[in-house]
Amino acid sequence: MERPTYRARVERIFDHCEDTRSLFLRTVSDTLPQYSPGMFVSISIPLANETRVRPYTIATSPEDGEPFELCFNLVPNGPGAAWMFDRTVGDLLDFTGPFGAFTLERAPDCEMVFIAEETTIAPIRPMLRRALSQSAAHQIHLLYAAERSQHLLYRPELELLSNAYPRFRFEPLVIEHEFLYQRLLDEVQRRWVTSDSGRSRHFYVCGIGSGVLKLRDLLREAGYERRAVRYERW
Amino acid sequence: MATIRVIYENGSPERVIEFDPAEAPFQHDGQPGSVLDVLLGHSIHLEHACGGNCACTTCHVIVRQGLNRLSEASEQEEDMLDRAPGLTPTSRLGCQAVIEDLHAEIVVVVPRYTINQISESREG
Repeated sequence: MERPTYRARVERIFDHCEDTRSLFLRTVSDTLPQYSPGMFVSISIPLANETRVRPYTIATSPEDGEPFELCFNLVPNGPGAAWMFDRTVGDLLDFTGPFGAFTLERAPDCEMVFIAEETTIAPIRPMLRRALSQSAAHQIHLLYAAERSQHLLYRPELELLSNAYPRFRFEPLVIEHEFLYQRLLDEVQRRWVTSDSGRSRHFYVCGIGSGVLKLRDLLREAGYERRAVRYERW
Repeated sequence: MATIRVIYENGSPERVIEFDPAEAPFQHDGQPGSVLDVLLGHSIHLEHACGGNCACTTCHVIVRQGLNRLSEASEQEEDMLDRAPGLTPTSRLGCQAVIEDLHAEIVVVVPRYTINQISESREG
């Protein structure tokens, strides 16, 4: 089955800070296929001697339509990120997708905990918005960590949501990188493992490196069902 | 030398590659020496929407021969495979399944559907 390739034009660029950017894209000849919150598109990156594909999560909600937003940071020695950072308004990008299994189409009937660090808020943001729109009765938490406050993206929006939805608790954390995951592990341990015996919550964790897997293991070994602990490791 | 034979469920011509696992990595995506790495490094396309980072199931393959010559699946791979369309007991993600035996003879089937797009997605 031949997978369709789509083309989109950069409509707008927004710099969150000096090394974190969002591109707002609008498809050129087709519309973006229907997708679930949390999915990514696979961008074709033309490099000197080859074309590589790199995934970029759609940071906007399906309900928002187009343009859709890709949020990313400038990774040192990352050819894909450097190419993306070089895009200007009017540039065309080719992509396939959307793809992905780290999604939230329907909010579960239980308390939800979202955990993210820096740009990994990208899939969490539309998932959270979907959860808030569907889950009227349950508590929703977002632990969002970064080494510098300017890397806590969409902070005003998230604070507005926490004011608008009393059952939503937004907890930004500024933590030195080397201590970041230990702090998250400690928080999760204290609040959702040790504090009570309830194991009906669902977790959605997106982060970078092995810390994500440690969070997964902590929760599953504490008795949370395997499929109640969803994660995406970048 | 190891060999890998690729059978396509959609009827595309089979491909056979002979390679030396010790020469891995062959290119940039997937675990070094993985099925994905070997195929891409020998100009055989295998879908890998996430760039070979165990974040999708587009590189899903069904291992018909040589399953025990591959690296053990991690929990992360198993979690992702849970959501693969057409999952079988011998399914692996091509980006994670590393061919460890220098003389392995691997046969994989590329399923007709290997995607996570909305039309094929399960509940999220």
